[in-house]
Amino acid sequence: MTHNQYTLESPSAPRRTRLRELWQLFRENKLAILGLIIFVLFFMTAVSGVILTSGQRPVFDPAMVRLQEKLLPPLTRPHLESLHPTEVPTLGIYLFGTDDLGRDVFARMLQGAWVSLTVGFVAVGISVLVGIFMGGIAGYFGQEYICLDHILIAFILSAGGTLLSIGSIGSGSACLGVGLLCIVYRLFSKILGEKLQSPGLLHKKAISIDTIIMRAVDIMLCFPSFFLILTVVALVPASMYNIMIVIGLTSWMGTTRFVRAEFLSLREQDFVTAAKALGVGNFRIIFRHMMPNAVAPVLVSATIGIATAILTEAGLSFLGFGVPPPHATWGNILSDGKRFIFDAPWLTFIPGIGILIVVLCFNLFGEGLRDAMNPKLRERG
Amino acid sequence: MLLSVQDLKVYFRGRDTVARAVDGISFDIRHGETVCLVGESGCGKTVSALTILDLIPRPPGEVMAGKVLFKGTDLLKLDDVGMQKIRGNHIAMVFQEPLTSLNPVFTIGNQIAEAILVHEEVGSEELRKRCIQLLKDIGIPSPEQRLKDYPHQMSGGQRQRVMIAMALACNPELIIADEPTTALDVTVQAQILNLMQSIQQTSAMSVLYITHDLGVVANIADRVYVMYAGIIAEQGDTAQIFNNPRHPYTQGLLASLPSRSRRGERLHSIPGKVPDPAYKPPGCPFHPRCPLAIESCKIQFPDMVEHGEGHLSRCPVTGD
Repeated sequence: MTHNQYTLESPSAPRRTRLRELWQLFRENKLAILGLIIFVLFFMTAVSGVILTSGQRPVFDPAMVRLQEKLLPPLTRPHLESLHPTEVPTLGIYLFGTDDLGRDVFARMLQGAWVSLTVGFVAVGISVLVGIFMGGIAGYFGQEYICLDHILIAFILSAGGTLLSIGSIGSGSACLGVGLLCIVYRLFSKILGEKLQSPGLLHKKAISIDTIIMRAVDIMLCFPSFFLILTVVALVPASMYNIMIVIGLTSWMGTTRFVRAEFLSLREQDFVTAAKALGVGNFRIIFRHMMPNAVAPVLVSATIGIATAILTEAGLSFLGFGVPPPHATWGNILSDGKRFIFDAPWLTFIPGIGILIVVLCFNLFGEGLRDAMNPKLRERG
Repeated sequence: MLLSVQDLKVYFRGRDTVARAVDGISFDIRHGETVCLVGESGCGKTVSALTILDLIPRPPGEVMAGKVLFKGTDLLKLDDVGMQKIRGNHIAMVFQEPLTSLNPVFTIGNQIAEAILVHEEVGSEELRKRCIQLLKDIGIPSPEQRLKDYPHQMSGGQRQRVMIAMALACNPELIIADEPTTALDVTVQAQILNLMQSIQQTSAMSVLYITHDLGVVANIADRVYVMYAGIIAEQGDTAQIFNNPRHPYTQGLLASLPSRSRRGERLHSIPGKVPDPAYKPPGCPFHPRCPLAIESCKIQFPDMVEHGEGHLSRCPVTGD
């Protein structure tokens, strides 16, 4: 007998985690790795930029005006005899030249990198959060209906609010009071455990939650988003944070559709029923049990969304609706430079190439991530 | 009486049909007892189990009538929050497919901990201890390491053990097991059955066991309810059902067991199939397949006939 010659290895499941498997697939894509490297460099530049250009006496001062040194091309040495010692750039050279006010473009690019990075991340963060929330609700509670009386109460409440705000206190507070009374009555009857018998017509199912949210998505998608942003930016005071919020709040629709589609299939899975059978609440099921299963494709689209957000911010700044002037962003360096495009082309080319590289790297990274997560590709590998 | 289901009717509304999946069933589960619901696929076993925990999708499902009394309170009248306190804490459930019933993106340690945390506030150190103890109880070797495993790293039997551990996490009074061994092979099935029996003996909980496998029933059940097309066809002690089946459907099921056929003979089977719950025949739903059917079976819905203590069968022909 020969079976003694073979020592059987005890069978064990592969120890490769999902993350490691993902990394191995990702690593094969050279362009995606390039994107990742540039992204890391950009991240470090932006973080060091915000440290080096802020404070009372920054290392690189983006706001230092030297009128005698205006429109110098890149890699020019400053005329030391005409400058005050504190005005000499730290590197001893204008790496990216100077603009029409003699400000160091390198320092301004450093400051602008932080704006691009935060706008990209915060705006996409907002849009992903809103998108996940709306998509989760639409996918999970989609079949629930909103009844006519809900709409009526909401209408009464908002009418009350409007009346109050235009000054008619009496009728406004009356409306609010009636609305609140309805809500309190409903809550009480729920606590007491009675099935509420609204008059027949009022309790008719009016519209499903899925319909409301997805039609809202359609409506938002109807507007060209850049013009929507321009309209909103014209109304709210311009600041970096408002720009982030506005960009975020006008780009959540794609994520919502994504998450809803994922949830429609996840909702039928056995582990959701199993979680329900354990007594887990609805919102905990949505955000703790189902969301981790749905979030991977969302993250991929988010990396590409960051590129779009950076581009949008640059476009807004270029048009003069972006971050207000003393603060440098890549977009407003570009727009300031366009007047001197024949005398000082570096003022448009340097921020332009900067935006190009960063957006390209995010796109490459995002696409690499998407390919690595694609199960069809995984089977081949 | 721990759980008492009374005249439960669950219908599913289609576009222009109504599927009467569960059509007026009643059964009782006492403390510490194992009760089996037996029947062919599509006869309403799973729907009845899911209705107890209010897990049927609504719409299209709808509870038309009946009560589910758990220690005296009607579970069908509870709101969402009240029901969540019952689920897992007092009544737990083990599902058919251990592969899809575990969340693929969490470690099993996480999932067992979740089952505890939903109902109890426990510190992280004690939580870990309890998870390890649960895994030990259900017979998973080296539990400290396995806590970090993902479901796909375990075998089918181990996954089902984990599901049982999650069901046991809060010491429920009743476990509903919906065909827990159907997806497993026979040796693993025997292990899981032994596990469930030993757990039941040590912790004195009741089990509602849903299966189509009469071999399993003979092994574990105290009492048996035979379901057919949404109704209870016959009920009684395990001995009564197996030794003295009175309903032709039960007789047919028992005759279909391969062990009862002689070598060289064709295996017995009941002709036809379970009727579509949307188009049930009038009268006794079993009459088109019944070898003993008489004229009145086609018109008259049969009443329960008593054959002995607790032994009831819904057949007028064998009752006389």
